[in-house]
Amino acid sequence: MKKILALVLTLVFALSCAGLASADFDGEIKIWVAEATVEFTKAQVEAFKAEHPEYANMTVTVEPVGEGDAASNMLTDVEAGADIFGFAQDQLGRLVGAGALVDVLPENAEIVAATNDAGSVSAVKMGDVMYAYPMTSDNGYFLYYDKSVVTDPTSMEAILADCEAAGKSVYMEINSGWYQTAFFFGAGNTLTYSTDDTGAITAMDCNYASENGVKALKSMIKLAQSPAHVNGSSASNATNLGAIVDGTWDAAVVKEMLGENYAATKLPTIDGYQLGGFGGFKMLGVKPQDDEDKLAACDALALYLTSEAVQTARFEAVGWGPSNLNAQQSDAVKADVALSALASQLQYCIGQGQYPGEYWTLATALGDDILADKYDAYTDEQLMEVLTTFQTTAGSYITK
Amino acid sequence: MAKQIPEVDIVVDEKAGVIREVQPEKKLRSKKGHERRVNATIYTILILMSIIWLCPFVFLVLQSFRGESGGQVAYVIPKQWTLDNYRFLFEGAAFSVQLLFKDTLAVVLTVVSNLIGIAGMVAFLRRKPKNPIEKSEGNLKAALLVFAALLLVNFIRCVDSSNCDFVRWFMNTLIIALFCAVIQTFMVLCVSYALSRMRFKGRKLIMNVVLVLGMFPGFLTMIVLYYLLKMLGLTQAGAVPGLILVSCASSGMGYYISKGFFDTIPKSLDESARIDGATRLQVFYSIIMPMAKPIVIYTILMGFMGPWGDYVFASYVAFGHKASYNVAVGLYRWVNTNDYQGYFTRFCAGGVLVAIPITLLFMALQKYYVEGVTGGAVKG
Amino acid sequence: MNDLDFLKLSKPQKFLHNLKKFIVSIPGRLMAAIAGLVMWVVNLFKGIGKGIADLVMTYVRGDWKTKVSYTVMGFGSMARGQWLRGILFFVFQTVFNLYLAFFGINYLSKLSTLGTVETAKKGRVTVYGDNSFLILLYGVLTIFFVAAFLYTWYVNVKQNKISEQILKSGRKLKTAKDDLASMVDTQFHKTLLALPTLGVTLFTILPIIFMILVAFTNYDNQHQPPQKLFTWVGTANFETLLASDSNDLGIDLQDKGNGVTTMTITAKNGDIITVDTTDAEAAAAADALAVDSSANFASEVIGQDENGKDLYRFTFMGDAGEDVVLEASNWIYVATPSFSHTFKQVLLWTLIWAFFATFLNYFLGMLVAIMINKKGIKFKKLWRTILVMTIAIPQFISLLYVSKMFAADGLINGMLMSWGWITEPLPFWTNTTWARVLIIAINVWIGIPYLMLIATGILMNIPADLYESARIDGANAFQTYMKITLPYMLFITGPYLLTSFTGNINNFNVIFLLSGGKPLAMDLAGNAGSTDLLITWLYKMTVTDSNYKLAAVMGILVFVVCAVINLVVYNFIPSVKNEEDFQ
Repeated sequence: MKKILALVLTLVFALSCAGLASADFDGEIKIWVAEATVEFTKAQVEAFKAEHPEYANMTVTVEPVGEGDAASNMLTDVEAGADIFGFAQDQLGRLVGAGALVDVLPENAEIVAATNDAGSVSAVKMGDVMYAYPMTSDNGYFLYYDKSVVTDPTSMEAILADCEAAGKSVYMEINSGWYQTAFFFGAGNTLTYSTDDTGAITAMDCNYASENGVKALKSMIKLAQSPAHVNGSSASNATNLGAIVDGTWDAAVVKEMLGENYAATKLPTIDGYQLGGFGGFKMLGVKPQDDEDKLAACDALALYLTSEAVQTARFEAVGWGPSNLNAQQSDAVKADVALSALASQLQYCIGQGQYPGEYWTLATALGDDILADKYDAYTDEQLMEVLTTFQTTAGSYITK
Repeated sequence: MAKQIPEVDIVVDEKAGVIREVQPEKKLRSKKGHERRVNATIYTILILMSIIWLCPFVFLVLQSFRGESGGQVAYVIPKQWTLDNYRFLFEGAAFSVQLLFKDTLAVVLTVVSNLIGIAGMVAFLRRKPKNPIEKSEGNLKAALLVFAALLLVNFIRCVDSSNCDFVRWFMNTLIIALFCAVIQTFMVLCVSYALSRMRFKGRKLIMNVVLVLGMFPGFLTMIVLYYLLKMLGLTQAGAVPGLILVSCASSGMGYYISKGFFDTIPKSLDESARIDGATRLQVFYSIIMPMAKPIVIYTILMGFMGPWGDYVFASYVAFGHKASYNVAVGLYRWVNTNDYQGYFTRFCAGGVLVAIPITLLFMALQKYYVEGVTGGAVKG
Repeated sequence: MNDLDFLKLSKPQKFLHNLKKFIVSIPGRLMAAIAGLVMWVVNLFKGIGKGIADLVMTYVRGDWKTKVSYTVMGFGSMARGQWLRGILFFVFQTVFNLYLAFFGINYLSKLSTLGTVETAKKGRVTVYGDNSFLILLYGVLTIFFVAAFLYTWYVNVKQNKISEQILKSGRKLKTAKDDLASMVDTQFHKTLLALPTLGVTLFTILPIIFMILVAFTNYDNQHQPPQKLFTWVGTANFETLLASDSNDLGIDLQDKGNGVTTMTITAKNGDIITVDTTDAEAAAAADALAVDSSANFASEVIGQDENGKDLYRFTFMGDAGEDVVLEASNWIYVATPSFSHTFKQVLLWTLIWAFFATFLNYFLGMLVAIMINKKGIKFKKLWRTILVMTIAIPQFISLLYVSKMFAADGLINGMLMSWGWITEPLPFWTNTTWARVLIIAINVWIGIPYLMLIATGILMNIPADLYESARIDGANAFQTYMKITLPYMLFITGPYLLTSFTGNINNFNVIFLLSGGKPLAMDLAGNAGSTDLLITWLYKMTVTDSNYKLAAVMGILVFVVCAVINLVVYNFIPSVKNEEDFQ
C-alpha cells in the first residue's frame, strides 16, 4: 500500500510540476549602472531604440554594478565586462591604463565639449584625449544637517558644539582621499597629478609638506578628537545623525531621516578657513571593441544616455545633478536643496583631476592614523615629517 | 560514555599522613555545599555565555522586522514592526505549475530526469533483498528518499525566480549546495576508500602531494580558475555550474577525515568477503558503505553547508551578472556597497531566511557532525 | 645530560631544557627534510635514466609489433588481441597529436617570451595581439599534456615488452574482459582515483604551478592582458618583498640653477634622501653610483651647522671609483613604507593571530566542555545546542552583522553610551590594538563551540579509573586537570593543533568579514592594514590592486611559512602514530 501511494504521489508531482524557468538570453550590448538607475536606463534604452530604427533589434542588458565597483570588475576581465558602464571620476586613470576604455568618437567629443560644463569636459580627458561621456556634475560633497540641532551651519566648531549638546553625531569621513582634500585644499594646499594620453602619471604638484598642510592636518586631528565626530559618509549607516558631509546621492535618505528638519548647505569653516574639496563627476565609458558596428552602436547609445534630455530625466527620476549646461538651467534643478547646496560649495572646490589608485590608499592610511589617535601628541615638526612622508610617497607614484 | 565514577569516601588526612575513611554524612554535607557552589558558578557562566552567543542572532531577527528606516540604528527593539523586509525579498517571485514549453531541451531534461527517478524508485521497491528486515524498512526508506529528491528537483524547477533577485540567489545556492553534497561525497569516498583499503605504488606519494598542495593559499589560484572556467564558458551566466565544477573538482583532497574512519573498520571484514569471491567494488558498496553511514552523512552535510558561505570566489566568477549570484554575494553587496542605501534590514531578513534552514539541518544532523570533527581531530 | 639529571630538574628547567633541545633540533630537521627532497629528485632522475635504457633495450630486442608501437601507440596491443588497451592508447595518441598541432604548439612556442604582438588600434577598432596570460596558462597546460603523453607512451612500450615475455613463457595475455573486470577488483584504486586525480591536476596543481610562474613575471595592473603584454623578470619580485636594507641606490639630479643641484637618493627599500649640493659634487656622486649601482652608502652626523641643524656626511663608496664624500645640513630624509617592512609586520601579526586563535580557542573550548560535561550540570544538550549556533549559521551573516554591531556609532557603542558607561564611542575598528583584540575575541565566539565538540568527544574517552586513582591520591580539580585531562588532550589532539595553527594562518573569513584588514597605516605599504593577515593582504593584491606578481610571491611565502612550521613541529608531536596501528 505504501509503495503504491509513494509511486502515485511521485508520478502526480512529476507530471504536474515540470515547470521550467526560462533561460537567460545574452544581449549584444551589456550596460552597467548603479542599482538605483537600472529601471531608468532600461526605459531610456527603449526610447533610444525607438528613435534609432537601425538599432531597434539590438538586445541590451542592464546590470546593477555601481560606479564604485565598475572599475575593479572591469579590470578583472575586460572581455567579460560591460560594453558601456558608469563610473566615478577617480577610476578613469586605472581604466585607461588597463585599456578598458576606448577614446570617444571625435564627432561625439565635439558635441560633449559643447554641451557640458567645462569641469566635466576636462575631467573625462586624459591629456588631450577624451575617454568618457560626462553623466553628472554632482560628485561633490557638502553639509546636510538637522535644523533643530544645528543653529549655525557655517562653522564646524559651532556644529560640533551644538551636536555634542544635543547628543547627536557629526559625520565626516576623514580616512578618505576624497573627503580629506576638504581640509588640505581649504587650507590652501594643492595636490594634482598630470597624465599623458595613455593614463600614465607624468608629474605631481603637491605642497602638503608646508605650514598650510600642518594647519589642515591639525584641523583633522581636532575634528577626530571631538566626541561628537563619527567617521563615515554613508547616511543610511548613520545611526545618530546631527550633521553629515555627504553627496547628492544620499539626499533621499537624509530627507527621510530628518523630515521637516532637513537642510543642506555648503561646507562650514574650521579653524577660520573655509573647507574646500573636490568637485567630481560621474561618467559613462565605452569598452574597446573589435567589431566596428558594435562600436558604432555603443558610441550612439552612450551619447544618447548622456544627452540633455536623458540627464534631465535622470535628475527627475533619481535626483542626480546634470553636467549638461542646458539641463543645469532647468528650474527644477535650481530649486533642489541638495544641488543648490552643492553649487554653493563648488566655488571653493577644484575640479577633480586624475589621481593614481595608490593615492587613495595612502590618504586612507593617513586618515586611519589620525582616527587611531597616533598624532594627538605630535608637535608641529613631527606633523611636518608625517606630511613630508605623505608627499614623497605620493610623488613616488609617478610612472613616467 | 564515561563510566560512572564510584563515589569513594576517602580523603587524605594530611596531619596523620594516612588515608582514612570519613564519616559519610558529615563529608556529604560539606561536599554538597561545595558542589552546589561550583555548579552555581558553572550555571552562571553558561547562562552568560548563552546570552552572548544568542544575542547577535536575536538582534538580527529583531532588526529584520524593523519598519522604520532600512539603515542601521543603535537600538535593538524596532519602533515599528513590519513584514515588509520579507515581502521585499519575495517581490516578483512566482510559483508556476504548468508546463512552459519555451525551451525544448529543458522539457526533455525534466521529463527524462523524472522518468529515471521513478524508474529508480520502482527498481528499489521491486528489489528482492536477502534479508527480510531490510525489505520492509530499507526499501521504503530508499523509495521515500528518492521521492524527496524528486520533490526537491521539481520544486526547484517550478520556482520562477526570473523577476526576484533573492529567490534567484537562494535557488542558485541551493542547487550548488545539492550538487556539491552529492559529488563531493562521491569524490571523497572514492579517494578515502582507495587510500585506506588498498596498497599500491604511489599511495604515499599521493598523500604527501595532497599535504603539500594544501599549504598553498587557495585565493592565489582564483584568477587562473576564473580563466579555466571562462574557457569552458562557465563564468557570469554560467557561474552556477562553474562554481559546482570548481568546488567539486578538487574535493578529493579532503579525504582525511573519512579515511581515518575507514581505517577503523577492521580489514578482516574485507578479507573474508574477498575470500568468498567478492570484488573490491562489491566490498566497497556492500560492506564498507553500510558501515560508513555516519561519515557519509558528515561529508554530505559539509558539502551542503559550504556553498552557503562562499563569497569570495562566487563573486569573482559571477561579477556583473546578478542572476548568477549566490546568497552570500547578493546579501554582502546589500550591506557593503554604497549603491544599496537602506538595505540593512533587508539583509537581516535575508540572513534569517538563509540561516533558518541551514541551522535546522545542522541541528538535526549534529550527531554526525560531532562524530566527524572528533574523529578528524583525533587523527589530525 | 642523562635521564637521571633530567629528572632532577625542576619543572621550568625541564621545560627550558626541552625547549632548548627542540630549538637545537630545528636546523637538523630542516636539513633532513631537504636531504629527503634531494634524494627523491636523485631517485627520480635515476628512474628516468633506467626507463630510457629500458626503452632502448626493448626496441633492440623487440619484435616488429613492438617496434611499430614506438610510433603508432597501441599497435602491439591490438596486434596481440588486446584490442581495448590498443584502442585506448591509439585514441589518446590521436587526441594528443590533434591538440598539439591545432592548439598546444602555438602556445608552447610563445612560452619563452609570453607573446610579442602588442594590442593595437586600427582607427578606433581594437585589434588584439598576443595574450600573455593565455599563453602562460595554455603553455603550462600543454606541458602537462606532453608529460602525460610521454608517460603513456612509456607505458605503451612497456606493455609490449611484458606481453612478449608472457607470450614467450607460453601463458595467455589478458583479454579486454579481464581488463574490465580488474577495473573493479585488483585495479579498483585506479578507477576510484581517476576522476579525483584529474580534478586535482586541472583545478589545483595546474593553477598553483601557473601562479608560481607568475611570481617570476611582471604581471600587474600596468601589464594586464589582453591590452598589454607581460614577460619574465626573474627573481625581481622576491627582491621587492624580501629585500632588507639593500644598498642599491637610485639617484636623481635636478639642476636648480646658481650652481645648486637637488639630489634625490632613493634606496631600494624606498627610503628617500633629498640633499641640495653643488653641481660638481652631485655629478661626482652620480658617477660613483653609475659605475657600480650596488655602491655602499653611509651617512653619519659630524656636527651641527650655524643654525643648529645636524650636519651630515654622506659617503658613496663605489667599488671601481674613488669615494665621493659630501657634507650637508639641508637634507630631508623620508622613510617611505616598503614592501619588505610591511611584509614583516603582516607576518608577525599573522603568527600572533594564529597563536591566539588556536590556543585561546583550544583552552577555552576545553574548559567549556569540562563545565558542560560535569556531573550534576543539567540541560547539557541545551547548552551545546546554543553554542553550536555559531557553527551552523553561515559566517557571512553572523560576522558581517557582528562587525556592524561594533561600528563607531553601532549598537554596542550606542548601548554603552545610552547606559552612560562611556561618553565617547570606543574605537573598536579604528585603533589597531582594539581591532586586533576584538577580532581575537570574536574568533573565540566562533571557535569555542567547535573545540567544545571535539573536547567533549575526547573527554568521554579518558579512562575513568585514571580520575578515580587521582581522587584517591587526593588531587583537586585543578590538579586532575593538569595531570590527566590536559596531557591526554594534548597527546590526542597534537596533530589537530598543528593543522589548526596553519589553518588559522590562512583564516580568511574572520578578518575579511570583520575588519577587512583595516585600519590602514602610513608605515605599511601596498594597501596592507594593521589587521591584515598574509592571506587577506594577498586577496587585496589580487582583487583590489591587480598586483598579481607580488600576490604570487606572497602565496609562495605563505606556503613556505606553513611548510616550515609543519616540518619542524610534525616530529615533535607524540601521537603521530603508525597508521597501520589503527586497523
